[in-house]
Amino acid sequence: MDRAVKIDKLKKIRNFSIIAHVDHGKSTLADRLIESTHTVDGRNMKSQLLDMLELERERGITIKLVPVRMNYEAANGEKYVLNLIDTPGHVDFNYEVSRSLAACEGAILVVDAAQGVEAQTVANAYLAVEQNLDLVPVFNKIDLPSASPERVAREIEEVIGLDASGAILASAKDGTGISEILERIVTDIRPPEGDPDKPLSALIFDSVYDNYRGVISYVRVVDGELAPGKTVSFMATGEVYDVEEVGVFTPAMSPVESLGPGEVGYIVAGIKSLADASVGDTITDARKPAASPLPGYRRVKPVVFCGYYPIEREEINALRDALEKLQINDSAITFEPESSAALGFGFRCGFLGLLHMEIAKERLYREFGVELVATAPNVVYQIKLTDGGVTEARRPSDFPADAAKVDEVLEPYIRMTAFLPDDYVGPVMQLSQEKRGVYVSMDYIAQGRVRLVYDLPLAEFIMDFHDRLKSATRGYASLDYDHIGYRASDLVKVDILIQEEPVDAFSFICHRDAAYSRGHTVAVKLKELIPRQLFEVPIQAAIGKKVIVRTNVKALRKDVLAKCYGGDITRKRKLLEKQKEGKKRMKQVGRVSIPQEAFMAFMDVSGDDGK
Amino acid sequence: MTPRETGPRSLYVHVPFCESKCPYCAFASAVKRPGDEGAYLGSLREEAASRSSIAGGRLLTLYIGGGTPTALSLGAWRELIAVIGGAFKLASDAEVTVEANPGSLSREHIELWRGFINRVSVGVQSFNDDDLKFLGRAHDSGQATEAVEMCVSAGFQTSVDLMFGLPGGPLRDGEPEYGGQTLRGWAGNLRRAARTGAGHISVYQLTIEPGTTFGGLNFPKSALTDGYLPYRYAQWCLPRRGYAQYEVASFSKPGQESRHNLNYWADGEYIGLGPSAWSYIGGVRSQNAQTLDEYARMIAQGKSASVYEERLPPAQAARQAAVLALRAERGIDWRSFEEKHGKAMKDEISEKLNRFPESLVRNDPRRASLTAAGLRVANRVWEEII
Repeated sequence: MDRAVKIDKLKKIRNFSIIAHVDHGKSTLADRLIESTHTVDGRNMKSQLLDMLELERERGITIKLVPVRMNYEAANGEKYVLNLIDTPGHVDFNYEVSRSLAACEGAILVVDAAQGVEAQTVANAYLAVEQNLDLVPVFNKIDLPSASPERVAREIEEVIGLDASGAILASAKDGTGISEILERIVTDIRPPEGDPDKPLSALIFDSVYDNYRGVISYVRVVDGELAPGKTVSFMATGEVYDVEEVGVFTPAMSPVESLGPGEVGYIVAGIKSLADASVGDTITDARKPAASPLPGYRRVKPVVFCGYYPIEREEINALRDALEKLQINDSAITFEPESSAALGFGFRCGFLGLLHMEIAKERLYREFGVELVATAPNVVYQIKLTDGGVTEARRPSDFPADAAKVDEVLEPYIRMTAFLPDDYVGPVMQLSQEKRGVYVSMDYIAQGRVRLVYDLPLAEFIMDFHDRLKSATRGYASLDYDHIGYRASDLVKVDILIQEEPVDAFSFICHRDAAYSRGHTVAVKLKELIPRQLFEVPIQAAIGKKVIVRTNVKALRKDVLAKCYGGDITRKRKLLEKQKEGKKRMKQVGRVSIPQEAFMAFMDVSGDDGK
Repeated sequence: MTPRETGPRSLYVHVPFCESKCPYCAFASAVKRPGDEGAYLGSLREEAASRSSIAGGRLLTLYIGGGTPTALSLGAWRELIAVIGGAFKLASDAEVTVEANPGSLSREHIELWRGFINRVSVGVQSFNDDDLKFLGRAHDSGQATEAVEMCVSAGFQTSVDLMFGLPGGPLRDGEPEYGGQTLRGWAGNLRRAARTGAGHISVYQLTIEPGTTFGGLNFPKSALTDGYLPYRYAQWCLPRRGYAQYEVASFSKPGQESRHNLNYWADGEYIGLGPSAWSYIGGVRSQNAQTLDEYARMIAQGKSASVYEERLPPAQAARQAAVLALRAERGIDWRSFEEKHGKAMKDEISEKLNRFPESLVRNDPRRASLTAAGLRVANRVWEEII
């Protein structure tokens, strides 16, 4: 192929994403586009086929990105290649969203014509604008009686500052507007730029792990050419590989001879672990490398940590194997061994957010059959010590035992942006205040709809903020957040002592002002959950040596059912054996038996603190 | 009373009939159908004849229980006595107990029993009419008093069964809601039982068993007490009236302990006849077929009626024996325990018992037993041992 042909090919490519708030119809719209370009024939059309993982289909959200290449003959008679790069729809995966957008020149901004602009509409639109993408606004669900395109157009103009006059009125459900969308992708989104003769640079925007082929990286070639047999190097890791195969997504993986500038496809190069093919990394020619990597690469760092413990202690090795395999598949997960007096051996695992954490837990169960308990999630605290040192605490027990050594504790904050009907502003402000939020701003984005911005400690946010926001607004609020760094807070570690012995599984870190009420809640709950023993069991909450809450599990007074006939002896024995078996599952702390349920009660991800 | 190696000297005979099924009862019993008595006695005669030879000599105790033995007609009773007397020889001082229901116990029964029976255990349950209605019993408090007094005055050793821990709940149709047994009501029951002159009182807590009417009622948890107060009260009040607690559920005047039951706790052997009856012979516990029909069918085929048998491995058998012994006030006699089960098992159990505070368990080189407080939480001690 000579250069002119290659350049012409480049001009016929459109790389785009669809961005939307959750439930605004992104996946259905993608399905329609694929259908009407005959990319997948009707028989094989699995509804919303972009969401491949079983789990994602069930939850109706996209986590992993699966690109699709569509062939489209435009009204001008020319044939185009449209590459749809799907993006995850959740804030936990914002970094992946931004990398997928970096692989595109344009985006379709889908807004529900009845609901209007929501928090993630704005967050995603801003990400797209930052990447300098051409935006094609689409008002979806126009078939709904409550659709109000004029209002939505006004919201887009006022909140996002985007001209919405040319927005396409569509219904992915009944097919309205689909052909116009395809046409506008060609006319409104610019073709990629790139030079086939420059040194290779290709952006990895996702990687998946295949049991047979190793890592398969999804790439967007910017300059140069990627072809089998080439030796390439990954610029972040410096690792060098021989390319085994390149191909495109139809959406099944189909090998091609080469991927040129502007093209989207995949590469197989015998890479063993996903950690070696990080999203955002740049692939270049090992012999003739690009001068500098493509911008924007950073290592994603987990922000939420929790302990994973196998339910059956013997399954610790199975859990380790499963985590290793999961990590090959999801390199954002970190884990390291830890042990808990109450739960035995387990792992402290790091995640990008709460959803990520839940998904990991479910995948471990579904894909590897490992049942586990997860301890309450923790954020990472930074602790400045009086001797000038700084240490990190990923769990309460990382806190220095001697409080006098702590100079200052910093905790991660987020900036939360919520969109909500103005009726609910009161309850949401109250909730944010209660969660130690700092008011930032509030403005009306349309009649009756408000944008409310608060800075909140991440620890408070991950506890139960989302659920409580939902119930405070009857589900009418939408939410997005950004990490905004660390701030100092008056935080303390509260120990829970049972029969004078601290039980690490129950200890927690919280603001000094909340220590009493949360300590009280925990103590009272434990009092309910710990069965009576033959002696009185004191339960205490303490900050350092200072006890702030005390309650007692009263001593057992009677445990005998009187009669036992000659015939009952066998039955009675079996009953006793069964009871004894049940107690074996209890954890001994000193002389006290604590049932598993007591530990479970504090591991609930929702972090119910006694409402 | 220690059983001899030669064979069991206690006999249990099960009468599988009742006038009606009580809502809390999980025992094998049924309302009698025509022809059942004949079938029962015919099968029992054969079973008795075929198994009498395993007895290790004259019987020291005989217990006729149920079901409701007094549900048998007088004619059937004559035959029952003939069947047992024909197959087994009783020691001259044998304890011969029968269970009786106040609703069906008659003077004719008492007359008929004279010379054969010497102890009657009356299933009073309560002297309070509301309690009795709630429990679905056929008798009222007047009949209960009368029945016990009849047995006492006829010269039988007499035992009264009383039940505590009754939750509130609906009575029969059209009656007001039952508020549950009060401590005052329970105290009244104990006093009235003592006043009848009965020499033995058994107290036991209502348990809600699956498969019974009560089991299907879903009593709210709050309605079911832990039974501490009524049990504690019985432990306080009965000894003051001359009844010593000699077992978890049993209080008696001196010399009126149930020897038959003491044999159970001493891990002694016994033969059981009749549907659902358990036997314990040569280390094997076995149970007969549960229903009369199944029992009669097996006997008619000339087979043993046993449908379940278990022989515990030595260590488990030793633990079982220890648990049984700790039911009784006399507890475990370490010397005979060690002779029978070996030093290792003795040490294991003794060590476990030593983990409990002295307020619950007394353990000295001669014997180990539960204190009154220990008896109240006996399950926890047994759990540790078993």
